[in-house]
This record gives sequence, structure tokens and C-alpha cells, in this order.
Amino acid sequence: MPKIEMYRDALFGYIGRTMPESELESLLEAAKGEIDESADADGVMKIELNDTNRPDLWSTAGLGRQLRVYLGGSMPRYDFFSRDADARDPGTRRVVVDPALEHVRPYIAAFAVTGKPLDDASLKDLIQSQEKLCTNFGQRRKSIAMGVYRTGLMTFPVRYQAVDPVATRFTPLGMERELNLNQIIAEHPKGVEYGPIVADFAKMPFLTDANGEVLSFPPVINSARVGAVEEGDQDLFVELTGTDLESLLLACAIVACDLADAGHTVLPVAVEYPYDTPLGRTVVCPYAFQQPLIAELSAIGRILGEKITADSAVTALHRMGVTATESSTGQTIDVQPPEYRNDYLHQVDVAEDVIIGRGMRTFAPEMPTDFTVGRLTEAERFGRTVIGTLVGMGYLEMIFPYLGSGRDFIEKLRPVPIGDPWEGVDQRPVKLANPMSESYEYVRNSSLPFLLNAESVSAHAAYPHRIFEVGKIARFDDADNHGVRTVDALCFVAADADAGFTAISGDLSVLFYYLSREYRVEESDDPRFIPGRAARVLIGDTVVGVVGELHPQVLENFGITVPVTCCDLDLNAILSG
Amino acid sequence: MKTDVDLKGLHPLEVRLLLEFSAGEQITASALSERLGYKVGQANQAVSWLEAKGLLVEAERTTAVGFELTELGAEYARTGTPEERIIALLRDRGPLRIPDITAALGLENKDVGSAYGSLGKAGALEMDGEKRIAVKDPDAATDVALIRTLLDRAESADGRLLHEVDLSDDERRVMESVSRKRGAASAPFRVIERETVTYLLTEDAAPVAGALAKAGITGQEIGQLTPEMIRDGSWRSATFRAYNINVPPAQSIIGRRNPYSAYLDEVKDKLVSLGFEQFDGSLVETEFWNSDALFMPQFHSARDIHDVYQLEAPTHAREIEEPYLSQVASAHENGWTTGSRGWRYGFDRDFTKRLILRSQGTAVSARTLRSAKVPGRYFGMLRCFRPDDVDATHLSDFYQTEGIVLGEDVNLKTLLGLLEMFAVEVAGATDVKYVPGYFPFTEPSIEVHIKHPVLGWFELGGSGIFRPEVTEPQGVSVPVLAWGLGIDRMALMKLGLDDLRELFTPDIQNVRRRRVG
Repeated sequence: MPKIEMYRDALFGYIGRTMPESELESLLEAAKGEIDESADADGVMKIELNDTNRPDLWSTAGLGRQLRVYLGGSMPRYDFFSRDADARDPGTRRVVVDPALEHVRPYIAAFAVTGKPLDDASLKDLIQSQEKLCTNFGQRRKSIAMGVYRTGLMTFPVRYQAVDPVATRFTPLGMERELNLNQIIAEHPKGVEYGPIVADFAKMPFLTDANGEVLSFPPVINSARVGAVEEGDQDLFVELTGTDLESLLLACAIVACDLADAGHTVLPVAVEYPYDTPLGRTVVCPYAFQQPLIAELSAIGRILGEKITADSAVTALHRMGVTATESSTGQTIDVQPPEYRNDYLHQVDVAEDVIIGRGMRTFAPEMPTDFTVGRLTEAERFGRTVIGTLVGMGYLEMIFPYLGSGRDFIEKLRPVPIGDPWEGVDQRPVKLANPMSESYEYVRNSSLPFLLNAESVSAHAAYPHRIFEVGKIARFDDADNHGVRTVDALCFVAADADAGFTAISGDLSVLFYYLSREYRVEESDDPRFIPGRAARVLIGDTVVGVVGELHPQVLENFGITVPVTCCDLDLNAILSG
Repeated sequence: MKTDVDLKGLHPLEVRLLLEFSAGEQITASALSERLGYKVGQANQAVSWLEAKGLLVEAERTTAVGFELTELGAEYARTGTPEERIIALLRDRGPLRIPDITAALGLENKDVGSAYGSLGKAGALEMDGEKRIAVKDPDAATDVALIRTLLDRAESADGRLLHEVDLSDDERRVMESVSRKRGAASAPFRVIERETVTYLLTEDAAPVAGALAKAGITGQEIGQLTPEMIRDGSWRSATFRAYNINVPPAQSIIGRRNPYSAYLDEVKDKLVSLGFEQFDGSLVETEFWNSDALFMPQFHSARDIHDVYQLEAPTHAREIEEPYLSQVASAHENGWTTGSRGWRYGFDRDFTKRLILRSQGTAVSARTLRSAKVPGRYFGMLRCFRPDDVDATHLSDFYQTEGIVLGEDVNLKTLLGLLEMFAVEVAGATDVKYVPGYFPFTEPSIEVHIKHPVLGWFELGGSGIFRPEVTEPQGVSVPVLAWGLGIDRMALMKLGLDDLRELFTPDIQNVRRRRVG
């Protein structure tokens, strides 16, 4: 969910009037936005926008446009869009695409602007749009990357090529010398960040003008010359490259409409492909690809929970910047989304805009009347019986995270300084492929390491300590579709100067008595315990847990200085046993 | 008179002392032992407590010397001193040379030598021309006889201790030669110096004793009632000591629920009371159920490698059940038969099998759809995982409370009604506000903000009506409301905490002491 920065006065300029922050706050609900930070001394405020399908709102111009229309302002009209079979005239502005790009980064959209120098607010807004569109909407430039250039320094047609990354060199923005593309990927900060998107291709995307003047190495970095845009620049060339034509055209439309709203004149550019695209081989941008949608009034009414007339639906949609008309039957409305939106997938999306356009406060809550029976899961109820019994025995319930470190889950459970701690033990913990840190690298296979950690930090609490946790653990299980099974588990631990096998076995015994289950024990060589003082707990032939006195080396590893006994049980196996 | 002495606060050891002794009498440990039968420890306790109360003062401090029989001394007492044994041997066997005596008695030459030295000097032994030692006059060995009487007396004395004051001058002289202060293992006696402190009652004691007598307190009252006393009836003639009930007790150690999980159970019970049935699911999920089935496109920003934990091994589920896989895939690609245009991209059937840790409870809502009853209400209290840096407001794993409601009457207004019910019943809200929200799987989407009496306005949760692209591929044709509540904030408030990490504290004392507000 992007947070955008903007000059509050610039936003008010687009809205058409100023207002107190409290009014802006509630007006922003129409855009699913909220004020994240109030305006500072420079008049800069931060607004968070929650709808990831409305990238048109992620700029001062776009957000201001929506709020202006919502307040009754006129719908914007943009005449620079080409449509199906109705292309604008690009003049000499052409981009020619290299056939080798078809399987690298096949699409490019572009337009030019003129007529007004970029001011500080517009430049900032443009840079922010670029950043938010490419990061949040364009998967960190993977599907959309955008560049802006000074038209005065370049000659059409622009060439979008696939080039050899070693033979091709230029001076990238932010550096003072020429590097080849591989060097940029390895050395330039943007290369390190975005290079991996194209690093595996033998030939990489490259943008030059007709004379070979370098524009950029998309999606990585602009050139230091043509690609450096500053306040006061008037004639600009904007291009977006990517992997999905529709997303690209949407982003292109958003930027073009924003610049048009800021007072710039948008000039079309023709992109010429040597291969087929969903829109043919020549696409003149900006391009309006949105198809009209037919929405049934009855379906909208069903979602609203009340009947709605075509008139009120059309009025509500109008406030959302959407053109709609009643169809001849009176049962449906024809809806035409604006060029900068592509979030109508289904008529339910229209219904939501009707709700917001009419105002959430116009709908009164109604209690559902359906009768249903509530209940807890069987495992939950069984777990509560277990918890009640343990508490009755004087145990204190603990609750812990499910992720932890290899140090706690594995190394500290080693009974000897070297060797495999899991020899003789059934289960290792599940490891994550992309941990944030070593502290949260494994999914626990028992509460035991957490209970031992609790012991190690709780020596100040009066003894005896009797603690337990009922919670979930993850275990490898080849029979499971996931290869890993989630188990409801119980682990209880007693720590005291005279804690011993006999006492913990007595607790185990009384627990099973109240659970109405018969169990037996078998000697275990589980190395986490003192040899000869560990037992497997079985129901029939199924091992359901382990009980024993922890090995003093394990206690030392955890920094515990009193004897500790534990019992670790699989509650699902006991419930079904 | 001292008025601040609480008669009930006096221990029986103090009471009996106060009643036994009168002003001016010397009170010592041995006097307490003799007259009241106090052991040393009891005497010390009684004296120090009374001293602290100002009823007793130290009068005099003297040091008494005593001689304690050592292990060696005890052996001498039993089997004889070397001198005694030499005389007895020579009487029995006639004159012998020193090495022969040494061998016969198992002694060392130097010991025999020194014994001969002293006994010869006293005139008890003599040596002939062949260096043989013979008895001359056994009666001349007077010191040997004195040592014998000391050994015998010490052996039967209390604590095998002879007091210096009880010895004659001769005995003191001899004792000096056979006792050591330190390193006494080689001597039959060890010198012991004992300090004797004498105490006197203060003038405040008599009134207290008088008050005790008047109150009928004797110090013989019973402390603990024993099973024997109940069985044999001796309690009938006993009086029970009144306890000082104002003494602050040490708190008992008890077993108890963890306040955080108890709160979670309270929420579960509340939801059950509102007609919701609980569901649960696996911690390890597939991309399919975690996101694809929720119509989140596979390129959605929340599905990035930075937003979902993946497993090192195994990496993929074996299968995704049909026809759900194909129906969901079609919904993404072209909307399937839902009337949606879909996301219009090629659905990745390998990616969808990738194993991850559940990042949202809605994954289990999605799994529940195909077997859900209509009408039906469901909830889950589910641990979810996100790769966040852990701090006061982010955890590596946390609970989400999620659920669905299926029924013909599910619409925006009943959704608002349900949210209002949650706000009032679960969160204790005094005011409720609904604002448009965004979730990839619901349309419309609503956020519910509540005014809490303590916390003020905050976002309680999110809700919406599942998109048809979510429900129809699961075979559900009625509208389905999906909701989620952020209960951690309320849990923190209930427990008086402001750091999420505290909910999972490992500190036993914290969990013992924590109260629910």
C-alpha cells in the first residue's frame, strides 16, 4: 500500500478548493486513503492509499482529480488518447522495436509533452509517480519501468533494441564514466537492485535515439545526459517498458493524464513492433484500451441490500469519475471506465463504486437473520481439557512464537559439544528458504526450546517452576500432501532443585487418567535426556510423546542451573488414540 | 511501660523467658537450657527477639576455656596412652630395647624415645648397660595417672568437654602439655574458647510479663494442630497460640491460564455464542490456498518473496485438488464462468503448488468454502507469518481472527450489521464508523473503525463480500461475507501492555503476576 508525499496546496489546487484537514480526512475515504502525516512546515503531507488496483490515485494530480469529481467537479476529458481504429496523429514521433526483444522485454509505451516548463511540484509528482507505479504496480520494475528524457537532446525515431551487454557502453546517471551493461549491473546501485530482472538474458534491453544517443538501459538506469530531467525542462519524452502491454498502457495513461492536468500538452507517439501484440503491430500511445461493461441493477441491488434505480447508480458512478448510462431495457447500465482506470473486472466492482459514490453513511446496518449453530473444533475442546488438567496440577500456561533460531531449536539441544543432536530423535524442525534473520529461521517442532528459554530467563522467579504450552508445531510427514503436517502439541516442564523423572511421570499418568487414555512407556535413547531417564510414551504401538530428565549439557547450553524434566506430547495422536 | 509490645506477637520462646526470669537475674544460654530446656538456637532466637523489643539487654561478656577430647584422645582413653602402654609392655615382657618396644606396640621410634625421656626423668623407667629399658618405679609416673583421669573424665563429660574452671592446678599443668589450640589432631585435647554473654531483663519486661500473666498466656500454647492431637484428644486440654495475623504472607505459587491465550479463548467463546463454528488449518500452506484461491493475481505485490515465507524443503505440494485448481486458474486467466474478465495472464500451475507459511487467515476461509453449510458462519483464530523485522508493533508470527458468513441474506447492510455486532459484543465499542477499504478478494470492502472507551478511535478490522471469482470456483453460489478482526490491540489493552512482544513473554514471573484488566 503506497504512501505518497505531496504539497497540500498542490492537492487543494487539483481539488479546486482548500479545506480543513478533518474534512480532507473524511473526503479521502472516497479514495480509500488516509492522512499518514499532516502537512509539515514546508506544506508537505503524506497520504496512504489502500487500493492496489487504483494506481491512478498515487499522485497529487490523480488523487486531486478523483476528489474534485467526487465533490461534484466536472469529469475530465482527454483528447490525446488513441482508441481501437481511431489513432491520433504521432507526427514524426516513433519508437521502433527490435525483433530480439520479443522474449526479453517485449513492450514499450511512450508519449511526449510540451507547452509548459516543469515546476518543482510537478517534477516531484512525476518522479513519485514513476517510483510508485514501477515499484508497487510494476513489481519493482519487473513488469513496468519508466524513463523521462529531454526531447531537445534527441532525434526520433527512438530505437528500442536488444544489445550485447559487454559491447554496449554508456555513462549512466549517477556516475561519471562509461560502463558496459554487465558492469552497471555489478557496480551501479540501481544495477545491483534492478539488474537481476534482465541479467539472465544474452541480449539486454537498450534505448537510443535515431543517432545512437543513449536514452537508457531499461529497466535499470537512464543515461547521464538525455536521461537527466530538471525543473524548468519543457519538452519531455516519457517511455515505459515492460512485460504486460495492458499494465504498461494503463501506467502510460495515468502519467499522461497527470501531466495534462498539470497543464502540459500531451503528444502521441507511435510504437512499431516487428511482432504481433494484442493491439496489432503499431500502437499509438497514450492508448485507451478499456472496454465498456454492462452491469445489472438487480445484481448491484443484491449487493447493496436494497433496490437501486438507474438514475441513482449513474449519479453515484459519476462522482467516482465513471461515465454510465441507463440501457434501453432499464434493467442494466452501460459503464465506461475512464482511461486511467483498469479495475473493473466484474460488475461487483461497479457495485462498490456505486456504494462509495452514494456514500457509505447512506446505508444503515441490518442484523443478519439466518440461524446458525456455533461450536469449537474437537481439537480445541480437547486442548482445553488438557489445559484445565495441567492448570489443576499447578502448571502455568505459557504462549510462544512459532518461529525461532537454529541455535535454540537445534544447537542448544545438543547433549555433547559436537555430533548430531537429532540422532535418536524423530523430527528435525522445518527450515525457511527466505528468513529475515537467523532468529526466525525455523518453524518449531516442539515447545521445548521456548520452555527452556523461559527457564533460562526466569531464575529470579521463586521455584518450583511448572510451565506448559498447548500450541501448534510442524512436522515432516511424507504422507501429507505438503510433506509437512501441523500438529497440536503439549509440552510441560518442571524445574526445581528436586525435579525428577518420578514426579513428571506422575503428572503424565494423572493427565492420561483424566483424558481417559491408556498409555505405556518404552526406554528411549533420545540424547536430549540423561541416559536411562527418558521414555517414549505410546498408545498401543503409536509413539505419542516423550518424557524424561533433560541432560545437564542441554541445561548448561540454555544457561539453566536447576534440574529440569519435561514431557512432550502429540495431542492429535492422543485424541485419536 | 512499653505500650507497643503486641502480646500476640510474642513467640512462645519469648513468653516463657519473660515469665521465668525476674529482674536482676542473670540470663545465659546455659541458664535457659537448664530452666527452660532451650537448645542453643532457641536461646539465641529468644534473646535476640527480646533484645530487639527492648525487653532484654546485654550485661556482660566473658570467655570460658574448655578442653575437648579429640579423636586421638578418645583412642588413648580406650587403648591407653603411649606411656601407659610402654609401662604395661615392660611389666609383662621385662626389659626391652627401644626398637623392640616400637615394633611390639606399633609406635614410632621417636614417640617411644620421647616417652622414655619423660618417664625416665620422673624415675619411672631406667635403661641398663645393654640399652634395654626396664620399669623402675611405676608409681613415680604421676603425670601418666593424671592424664588417665583427665581422659576418663572427658570421655564421659557432656560434649566430651572439660571446663578449665573445673580443673585442679596439677590438672591444668598437665592439660597444657596434652592440648593444642590449632592442629590438635596430634594431641588428645583441643583447646576451646567459648564466649558467654549474660543478659538482664530491662525495666520494661516486668509489666509485659504481668500483662502476659493477666492474659493467661503461658508460652505453652499450641502452634500447629497435629493429627495426633486430634486422634488422641489432647487438643481438649490444650490452648492454641494466637497468631499475628498481620504478618505479610509469602504469595503461593499456583498454576494458571496464560492471560493472553485466555483472552483469545474468550474471543473464541464469544464468537461461538454468536453462532460461529470454528475452523483450523495447516501452518504450511500452498500459494494456491494462501492467495490464488483468493483471486490475488500471481504478480500481486503482496505475493513478493519479501512478503511470504517459503520452505527450504520440501518446496512444493504434490498436488492441488481438482476441479478447484482448474477453476481457480481459469478465474485468473479469463474469469471462468463468473462473469469476470479475469486478470488476463497465464496462471502458473507450478508456482501455485509452492509451499509457504500461511500469511493470512483468509487462506483457511478459502479452504472452508467448499464444505461450508448455507446458511453458515465460521471463524478461525489462526497463527500467520510475515517476514517483518520484529519490534513493538510487528511479530514474526501473530494471530489473525478471520471468518466467513454464507447466506442468501448476505449483503452490504447485513455486513454492516455483523460488523456492528462485533464492535459492540467483541470489542465493547461505544461508536462505530464504516469506511471503504481494499482487500484483493472482496468487493465491496469495508473497514470498521470503532470508538473504544479507553483507546479512542481505531481500526477494528476489515470485511467485505467475497468476489465471485473467489466463491464460484469453490462451488459456492450464495454471497459470502469475509471478515477479519485485529484483536492484538485489544489484547494489549486488556493486559495493560504496549508491546506486542510482551504477549509472548518468556518471563515466568511476568506470567505469574500479569492480571487481566
